[in-house]
Amino acid sequence: MENKSPLSPHIQIYRWHISSLVSISHRITGIINIIVITFICLVISSLVLGEGFFELVNLFFKSFLGKFFIIGITWSFTFQVLSEIRHLIMDLGYGFEIKTTNITGLIVIIGSLVLTVVFYLIGKNIL
Amino acid sequence: MVQISLPQNSEVKKGRYFKDKTGSKNLRKVNIYRWDPSTGDNPRIDTYEVDMDNCPSKVLDILNKIKNEIDPTLAYRRSCAHGVCGSCAMNMGGKNGLACTKPHSEIDGDIDIYPLPHLKVKKDLIGDLDGLYKQYKSIEPWLKTNAKSEKSEIIQSKEDREKLDGAYECIMCACCSTSCPSYWWNGDKYLGPAVLLQAYRWIIDSRDEERQARLKKVADELKLYRCHTILNCTSACPKGLNPAKAIAEIKKMLATANI
Repeated sequence: MENKSPLSPHIQIYRWHISSLVSISHRITGIINIIVITFICLVISSLVLGEGFFELVNLFFKSFLGKFFIIGITWSFTFQVLSEIRHLIMDLGYGFEIKTTNITGLIVIIGSLVLTVVFYLIGKNIL
Repeated sequence: MVQISLPQNSEVKKGRYFKDKTGSKNLRKVNIYRWDPSTGDNPRIDTYEVDMDNCPSKVLDILNKIKNEIDPTLAYRRSCAHGVCGSCAMNMGGKNGLACTKPHSEIDGDIDIYPLPHLKVKKDLIGDLDGLYKQYKSIEPWLKTNAKSEKSEIIQSKEDREKLDGAYECIMCACCSTSCPSYWWNGDKYLGPAVLLQAYRWIIDSRDEERQARLKKVADELKLYRCHTILNCTSACPKGLNPAKAIAEIKKMLATANI
């Protein structure tokens, strides 16, 4: 009897809220950032191996995939930083009302996109 | 453990379709999760066409109407119908709430009704809450005091009494706990928002003398710190309480207190 009972649907049916979306994105970008930081360290260390490796890295970052990668990690980092600030404020016990979390969540999402564009423009020497 | 997909015996199949027989023009489709323990079949979604012209405003009224007029085999818990008892907690339109206080006009499109998420289903919309009640018992939700005389009352100041506001109103309907992804994945160990709100209610009660022991008891990586401020609990609570804030307050107390 006990084993026969089905499990009621959970993540399949539960509606996403801004707060849950920001929370899961915070974890995913966290994992991405760890991998990316390791990758960046490897790239920098590879420079001691000589000019050939520098050319290789340069070629990658100039390719379409490389640009996608850079813009992607810029978003991932800015999202993580803004979201972490939100979490720190929550750890102090503020911002738990649904209205406030929706506003701070939106600030994190929109802010990270805006900052990504800003960093891109700065990198292009346009700003 | 994180288990995104449902086990094989829990996969939801398409069920029966109950066409409207009243000839009403104001119809709404209501999809309801059904599971009959007397057969070995998988759960299914039955669809009912409900005449909204002769239906009061709440989701529970739809369920009553279906049970009374269309399909008497539908099983669900309900009692007070005024948002006080917490029996009719279920998942409506993708969000947990009490069927008796949730207006169906707030749900767009077809009305999807499921039992509370990630519970063992007993029948149709009835989930098994035994685990939650055991956890509730484990925090010892009663007043503990060393007062010698039981004849005199324990005086509480107005300020101390005010601290209980937002915690004592909880009706233990389990809407919050079953909305929490952390509770879905670690429900056997993590206490969940409903029980932690009650733990907080006894920790801050000025009349209780076991504050330190209570704090020590919940200070556990799995029991308390699985809360990642997803805040599904607060947005689900049909009584407008804030379990997430209560959990944050417990964390704050543990970070600042010497225990």
